[in-house]
Amino acid sequence: MPPYLRNAADRFTATVSKFSLEGKIGLCGIALIVMMAVFAPLLSAYPPGKITGGSLEPPGADHPLGTDELGMDIWSQICYGARMSLFIGLAVACIAGLGGGALGILAGYLGGAADQVVMRTVDVLMALPSFPLLVVISAFMGPSVFNVILILVLFSWAKPARIARSQTLSIKNNVYITAARNYGATPFYLLRRHILPEVLPILFVLIISITSYAIMAETGLAFLGLGDPTSKSWGMMLYYATNFRSIYFTPYWQWWLIPPLVALIVLLLCLAFIGRDLEQVLDPRMRQNRGG
Amino acid sequence: MADLEVKDLKCHYNTDTSVVPAVDGISLSLEAGEIVGVIGESGSGKTTLGLSIMRLLDGLASVSGTIVYKGTDITHLPEPEIDRIRWKDIAIVFQNNLDILNPVMTVGKQVVEPLLKHEEIPVREAQARCADLFRTVGLDPVWMDAYPHQLSGGMRQRVLLAMALSCDPKLLILDEVTSALDAFTRKEIRDLLIDLQKKNGYSMILISHDLSFVSSLASRMIVLYAGRVVESGPTVDIINAPRHPYTRGLVHSTPDIFVYKDLWGIPGESASEDGHAGCPFSRRCTQPIEICRTSPPRLQSCGDGREVACHRGGIATLLRADAVHFRYPLPGRKTLHAVNGVDMDVCEGEVLAIVGQTASGKSTLAHILAGILRPESGEVRFMDGAVHSGNNGHRFGGIQIVFQDPFSSTSNRFTVLDAVREPFDINRIGTAAERLDMTREALKLVRLPPTDEFLGKYCGALSGGQRQRVALARAMIMKPRLLIADEITSALDVSTAANVLRLLKGLQNRRGFAMIYISHDLSLTLKIADRIAVMDAGRIIEIGNAHEVMLHPRDDRTKRLIGTRVGHCCHDHKPVGMAGRLQTRVSDCGDE
Repeated sequence: MPPYLRNAADRFTATVSKFSLEGKIGLCGIALIVMMAVFAPLLSAYPPGKITGGSLEPPGADHPLGTDELGMDIWSQICYGARMSLFIGLAVACIAGLGGGALGILAGYLGGAADQVVMRTVDVLMALPSFPLLVVISAFMGPSVFNVILILVLFSWAKPARIARSQTLSIKNNVYITAARNYGATPFYLLRRHILPEVLPILFVLIISITSYAIMAETGLAFLGLGDPTSKSWGMMLYYATNFRSIYFTPYWQWWLIPPLVALIVLLLCLAFIGRDLEQVLDPRMRQNRGG
Repeated sequence: MADLEVKDLKCHYNTDTSVVPAVDGISLSLEAGEIVGVIGESGSGKTTLGLSIMRLLDGLASVSGTIVYKGTDITHLPEPEIDRIRWKDIAIVFQNNLDILNPVMTVGKQVVEPLLKHEEIPVREAQARCADLFRTVGLDPVWMDAYPHQLSGGMRQRVLLAMALSCDPKLLILDEVTSALDAFTRKEIRDLLIDLQKKNGYSMILISHDLSFVSSLASRMIVLYAGRVVESGPTVDIINAPRHPYTRGLVHSTPDIFVYKDLWGIPGESASEDGHAGCPFSRRCTQPIEICRTSPPRLQSCGDGREVACHRGGIATLLRADAVHFRYPLPGRKTLHAVNGVDMDVCEGEVLAIVGQTASGKSTLAHILAGILRPESGEVRFMDGAVHSGNNGHRFGGIQIVFQDPFSSTSNRFTVLDAVREPFDINRIGTAAERLDMTREALKLVRLPPTDEFLGKYCGALSGGQRQRVALARAMIMKPRLLIADEITSALDVSTAANVLRLLKGLQNRRGFAMIYISHDLSLTLKIADRIAVMDAGRIIEIGNAHEVMLHPRDDRTKRLIGTRVGHCCHDHKPVGMAGRLQTRVSDCGDE
């Protein structure tokens, strides 16, 4: 195949092949967690919200990680909790990253009033201390998954918007855009061929870091008791476990508190590894050298 | 009453298989004492014209039309009578070939021969006359006894001239008398002809392809192409402002006229026998339209005693800018008048250079002309349509612009293929395979390898010169009528710049598009420009033929621009260490 016909799959493999060992471990870890979330019903014998054993059973044959105070299986809670954590993390990241990115590109491309409106809003959002506000607003709006996502999106779209705008501005000043316009290119074409391919990789890195942030923020909110009490996220598990009076004087913390904590740490670590490597590979300065 | 009047002369050589129209309807008239130049490439029918006026083609070619000499129609005069006119009234100086002179006769004898025949004088007197003639043409009479092969080319040419002058003719036809001569002899012959003409008042028809030689003698010129007159008029006007693309090509191929410029011939071969019905020059022309392929143009007057045979009325104006203004807003409600009332036009197939220092408004003007910037007031018209945002960039035969910075004119992220075929992608021209083919063609044009490997390279991985050529290929793929090159070599090193520039000029010459070349480098533009416009503070302060502007700048600022050339290559330059007067030297530089 001639080298000018490279497709997306090749590019993906090319990108991954530049990853460091940590990055590859991160990718594998994420893949495992995603599988765990997807195949949760197959991996666990019990539904997570059902009392299937005695209260606070230690790990055993029936319950690989034991049960909590209500007698629900911890392993199945971990599996289903992965769904919730990933869902909230990715939903927030995608909405905030892509939506904020789109707003930023629009602001940068159109300039003028649109730019002013978007950028001043971004300024305000970035000036506000986010976590205290997060706590206040979620307390005010009441706990639900939807609200949690909404609030997290509200506080995380500013960064991608800013970065997308500055990227768009710098691309817009290139002569090749003038040339393409002179050839009769529509704004849609410029967006598709010139602006998006430059901005998307950077947004992708941002999306990963927002995912980490969202998962952590969700955990934090849940930990403070502001999460959705009906959802079984890892954060909620931590919340229930730590709210169990004097858990550290009992052996229960070993199978009730440790598993969600480890799961969270592993997930965040994997995301961090991938984020770091992607940043290096997709860095514009480095891409200049290899041209892609 | 004209001395010689040729009307609708046609000479067709009949070969076994075809008829070659060597002269195809030429009319000309010659006043007494006038020198008319007949100019044309090899094969344009110049010599045939001379020979048929001498009636030397009887039986060799079918000749029609009338030739009237001093009131008598000599076209159908019987042989004895024409023989009397020949040599005595009309004489021809043949092109210097060894086979023109009889190799077994001394040159003296050959000069004496017509004397004996026409003047009927004794041999002794004829020989004395011959010796006089030899002296007249600057040849020692001792050479009379030499055989042709013993003489040099210049001497033989003088013998031929002496032969033509022998019977004291009224009309001299000189056929390529200088083409085989060195520069010194050429000048001597020229001076000799001027002297003789002054002394004896000959009328002359100078047939030559040597434009500078003809222009130094003739008051009027006729330009032949494929047996037809394409342009005629006063010599000065034709040289300074040729109206026919062919004449312009000839002028541009003449080193003496454009002393600074590189030489570029007219592309293509002279097409005299390809037999299509249209204008014979249309295949090499820079501005053909539909009718040029179907019917030949007639010679028409275009004022000032000039005539041109072109369906488009001579070299057409391609782009015209009228009172164009553009201002950039500056902080504090101030504005920068970048383009201040510019009027200019660009003709088909010409290279106009816009020269000026940085911030003189050159690039802004270029962007306005290309339709990228909208002028505040004034109008730019391209081929009878107004130029506005990008309406000429997206089609074939429009305006294309190549930008200054090669590193930003193509995207790092694009492969060469993506970059070059982008205009097609945007305008959805052709299928993927056609786009690929045309991309390869365009890359070949700009001397880049059209290989798969190169097509797949990212622009970010190319050198500056390569990227500029990729940008050039992208412009060429749209086959522009006008290419605007905005400082395209300023980011390149000298050698790369020279290569890109020659490539560009070569393309321009072959493809025949017009070009606006914008630069701050006067020396560089002199290499390629036909005309130069000097820009300063948003105005065009001087515009004219490149050599005129260079040799006789009128405006002080132009003089200053020419005076900025420094370095060893510049006349009069002394290094600081030697003379210690760099300051004065630099300012003196351009004044010679």
